[in-house]
Amino acid sequence: MAVSAAVFCLLFLFNAATTNENTTSYNLNTTLGDQNVTFNFMENDTTPQPTEFESTSPTPSSTSTEPPQPAEPLPASGRLPTTVTTVDSVCPCDLHESVCDINCCCDRVCAEELSLFTSCSVDRVSGSQQLCSGDVASYSLRITIDGYSELQASVGEEPNYDILCIQSQNRVGGLSHPPPALPTDSSFDSLFKEFTSFMFGSEERQVSSAELQDSSGYQYGEVMLTADRGVFLLPAAAITADCVDSSPAGFLKDQSSVCSRRVTLQQHCSSLPPLSMNTYTDIQLLAGKNEDAAVIPVQVCSVVLQSVEGTQTELQISDGEDLPPALLDPSLCANVVLQVAYVMKYSPAGEIVNVSVSLVLGSVSEAELTLEQEFHITFVQEDGGEGAVHSSGNPGYVVGLPLVSGTRTAEGIVGSLDPRDTLSLLLSAEQQDCLRGPQQRAPVLFAVDSVSGCTLRLEDAGNCSLVQQLLLDVLRGPNPPQHVASFRNSLLDSPMDWLPIKNNLNPGEAQSCSIPLSLHLEVQWTQYGSLVNPQAQIVSIKEIIQTNTTSLEVLSAGSSTLSISSSVAFIPVSAAALPGYRATPTIDAKLPFDFFFPFV
Amino acid sequence: MAFYEVYSHPALIRYKTSVCTKATLFLVVVLCLTYIPPLLVAYRSQGFWMKRSTYEEQPVVRFQYQTLLVAATNTQGDYVAWSTFPHLNNMLGANLRIPAVSVREEDQNQDGKLDLLNLQLHLPLKPEEQVYSVQLLLTFSYKLFRMSTVVMQSLAYVQHSSSVPGAKLFISGDLKLQQRTPLPHRGVYNVYNVSVIDGSSPFASAYDLDNIIRSYQNRNLTTVLSCPMPVWTVGRAAGSPFQINAEIRYPVEVISYRPGFWETIKFAWIQYVSVLLIFLWVFERIQRFVFQNQVLTAVPIPVGKPHQS
Repeated sequence: MAVSAAVFCLLFLFNAATTNENTTSYNLNTTLGDQNVTFNFMENDTTPQPTEFESTSPTPSSTSTEPPQPAEPLPASGRLPTTVTTVDSVCPCDLHESVCDINCCCDRVCAEELSLFTSCSVDRVSGSQQLCSGDVASYSLRITIDGYSELQASVGEEPNYDILCIQSQNRVGGLSHPPPALPTDSSFDSLFKEFTSFMFGSEERQVSSAELQDSSGYQYGEVMLTADRGVFLLPAAAITADCVDSSPAGFLKDQSSVCSRRVTLQQHCSSLPPLSMNTYTDIQLLAGKNEDAAVIPVQVCSVVLQSVEGTQTELQISDGEDLPPALLDPSLCANVVLQVAYVMKYSPAGEIVNVSVSLVLGSVSEAELTLEQEFHITFVQEDGGEGAVHSSGNPGYVVGLPLVSGTRTAEGIVGSLDPRDTLSLLLSAEQQDCLRGPQQRAPVLFAVDSVSGCTLRLEDAGNCSLVQQLLLDVLRGPNPPQHVASFRNSLLDSPMDWLPIKNNLNPGEAQSCSIPLSLHLEVQWTQYGSLVNPQAQIVSIKEIIQTNTTSLEVLSAGSSTLSISSSVAFIPVSAAALPGYRATPTIDAKLPFDFFFPFV
Repeated sequence: MAFYEVYSHPALIRYKTSVCTKATLFLVVVLCLTYIPPLLVAYRSQGFWMKRSTYEEQPVVRFQYQTLLVAATNTQGDYVAWSTFPHLNNMLGANLRIPAVSVREEDQNQDGKLDLLNLQLHLPLKPEEQVYSVQLLLTFSYKLFRMSTVVMQSLAYVQHSSSVPGAKLFISGDLKLQQRTPLPHRGVYNVYNVSVIDGSSPFASAYDLDNIIRSYQNRNLTTVLSCPMPVWTVGRAAGSPFQINAEIRYPVEVISYRPGFWETIKFAWIQYVSVLLIFLWVFERIQRFVFQNQVLTAVPIPVGKPHQS
């Protein structure tokens, strides 16, 4: 429908004659510059009429507006002014009224200032380039014979040597913008909605959803209220690692966050609320969302004191006792909150029944530091929540969850409920020394290969048999488990489901003592069952301890330390699924699986 | 007296045979060899079934006017931040620094699709503050219409840091589409028409850049700001704000899609027939040789008396 009604003519050579027919020129002295700026504008027709426009900008779908004759244009918008059509009256660089704009050659008021010009900032104003001959106003500077330069301004027709150009145009508005819809009383809202889909300030400040629900209890993810009509807050890291104190905690959303806080002890030790214990204990929670909901105080479950060196002692604390942070020394602040762990019990009605908090208070001993704080919140059911075992998958293992391990006794397998008490790996610490300091351990996670280690100083390795035993203890950890469940939900009383950890170290044959250099756990696992829900099962687990065969001095190659590594590798032994037909065709000629690709 | 060919016409010779003869067997074998091998040849030479194709389209992109800005103001890690999310701004507390932002989207070729976003951001700073790093996150509404209708909300993320405090950061880049798997050839594809940042969430974790980027990069269809040359201008005068100038273009994208059934068939048919023509010609010659020379016995029935019917 929108084929232009303009007449296209094949223009070969005969159009070259229609050049500068009515050229007006005026010459003025200026110096010569060299700058090519072309300014085009679409030649507008005088009266836009409602024809079939090929509109590329969205036209309003509202029925009430007819662009040329708006029913009742709003007073501010009114009618559109008549468009400027002739090229010589368009001067886009003429921005100062009745003052000469420098280097603006089309500015009519510039007569004397022309000698200051170096170039024309706009040297060409033309109409549509698609016309075979269109009006062009061109401005240029030229040097005359006596060294002065003069402005040559000319308005004329310029031929277009394109083969497909528009010779004459009888379609109104074909080369101009479609007339915009002027807003009226009735169409203003729909026009406004159409053109302002996104803008600043469109975010509505939403009412918290807690107040919109009818039920008295909380629902998942809702913020919990406190007795003073505030919100229960749990600091968390937001866009940076810094603690954001005003972040609320969501009901039933288990959350653990580690964030940092920059502290100057002199200034902040006793005055900064997030460092003191009662910020986290002196909270009265509302059991539900109602005004008359019961008030649940936070009970202090345990307080652990941590020294500067990192040793922890549990503190017997009576109810309501508070340990405010105290500045003992300009660079020693005691009783600073390091870890906060809330445990909330909830009822099936969505009400909070009990809140308890465990805290770790510590001493920090630097005048200015970035303090790391940990915050945890867990929700347990009112009845039977404590005994819940956190599972690593059901029935197969889930990637990224710890292995289940145990020890065989006469009655069967004994395993710990604590997820931290499982097969674990040495974790690299800042001290790096295998024989010194408390060693940190990280649980072995299913299907996650990892490596870590520590260093052994050769001067410590004098007493070989002692060092051997110490290193083995360090590498294996305290109470190393003997068995690993092949399934996550292997029962404790069915020992056949538990795999023994095979071991290559034979302590009996150690007539010449050897130092273990690495402990490597090799876990073979397989997937079976359906492709959609495969079950992961551990097939075998092997502990490979490498010991030195030559002297330690040779191994360390002159340096005084030796690195001891501890690693785990998970080897999938399951056969990968292959693409193929659901039922193999019985024709012996073998066709590739995607031979009938779009059909099957 | 020279002779010349005044006219010619082919003469049709029919060869007839009964069903249980060698000629019938030959015919069956020839038919099989004519029509099946081209299929195998076309398939084995790869690309028989077209599984991925591309088209060009300029997307309809709108800046959603959602912004998140984090600037480190010293080397110790102090920062100022601002966003268009009220919840986050409330949480930021003393770190909130409201900049002056001006935005303009341009349609340069007047085709109704925006081509360029100009964003200017002036971040006022206190005398003791300097800007060492900038993280800027902008969200866009991104639409494609030509094959399948794609409606999604996407992200542009700029991160720049320098050891020297800056006065200005200039970014000029393209908002490029990245896809992992081809789009469907028709239908509405709006699984990603969800907010990249959940601005209604009161929880700090909703604004964690880790979480935002992780869930965003999980998507099949994302946009990425390709800005290979950010310009970091040093030497900020005291009292003047830190400036971010961004020019983000919305270029024409080459989008890959999975062709529909008939498009796949069409291209397979072209390949099959072009190979089949060669086989037809070859086996036509073989058949003619076999029957003309009576290699296999068949009864030729010459044109004789043509019955005009």
